[in-house]
Amino acid sequence: MTLVLIFAGLELTFGIYAVASKSILRSAIGLALASAMLSTVFYALGAQLASVFELSVCSGLVTVIFISGVSLSHSPKLDLQGEYRDRERNRYLPALLIGGGAVMLALGFLLGGGGLEFAADSAQSAQEVLWGSRQAEVWGQIAAILCGGVAVTVLFREERRDR
Amino acid sequence: MLSVGYMLLTVGVLMVLAGCWCMIRTLHMLKITIGIEVAMKGVTLFLVLAGRVSGQLALSQTFILTIIVIEVVVAVVGTGMAVGLFRKYGSMSVRNLSRLKG
Repeated sequence: MTLVLIFAGLELTFGIYAVASKSILRSAIGLALASAMLSTVFYALGAQLASVFELSVCSGLVTVIFISGVSLSHSPKLDLQGEYRDRERNRYLPALLIGGGAVMLALGFLLGGGGLEFAADSAQSAQEVLWGSRQAEVWGQIAAILCGGVAVTVLFREERRDR
Repeated sequence: MLSVGYMLLTVGVLMVLAGCWCMIRTLHMLKITIGIEVAMKGVTLFLVLAGRVSGQLALSQTFILTIIVIEVVVAVVGTGMAVGLFRKYGSMSVRNLSRLKG
């Protein structure tokens, strides 16, 4: 369980790096690393199926999408424009995170360890649940993917019409 | 001594806070999408934690698959909007959204 906490801490670190970085490319790479660390946490907690999807889809595909967005914008400099002044905007981010963490830890100590003890896992596998009782969810996922595809098609069709 | 579950809950809360901060404090469309993704990482961590605490990890994994699909769709649509904004106005600032007509 120490390993889980180490990787969760790394996930938080890379997530904060993704938020605080001035470069979109570095933010995307930080997000990919946070996803990779999260997939390791999933694997250590016994959620192997979610771990594989998190690593391949979130750490791989989403990063490719963001980097494609950066390259499609034909921005010679990958840094954010100066007008956004991210450094100033992120000035209070550490205070927020330290404050939030302190409040959560204080609440945990007040609650006597915080509870949330892990229970014994049920014998059912994720595949049985997904294809047995929650098969309709797969159709919902397919519909969501189709909606995303239609949205992107519409966005680029509008662009062509403007030309 | 805090339990591992509570420590993971704290990490998830901090991820959601960082993502919300990113969404609130920047005007860059791609950066806002990255903020949404960071917040959603915290949410998926909550789901796995809920599965482990309740002993129904298989059920929570199916929810996570749905969340991952939604994450990808949000990333694709957010990036498409950002690229569209850049091509139209030369900037990815969300303030340009208010100038759109139709």
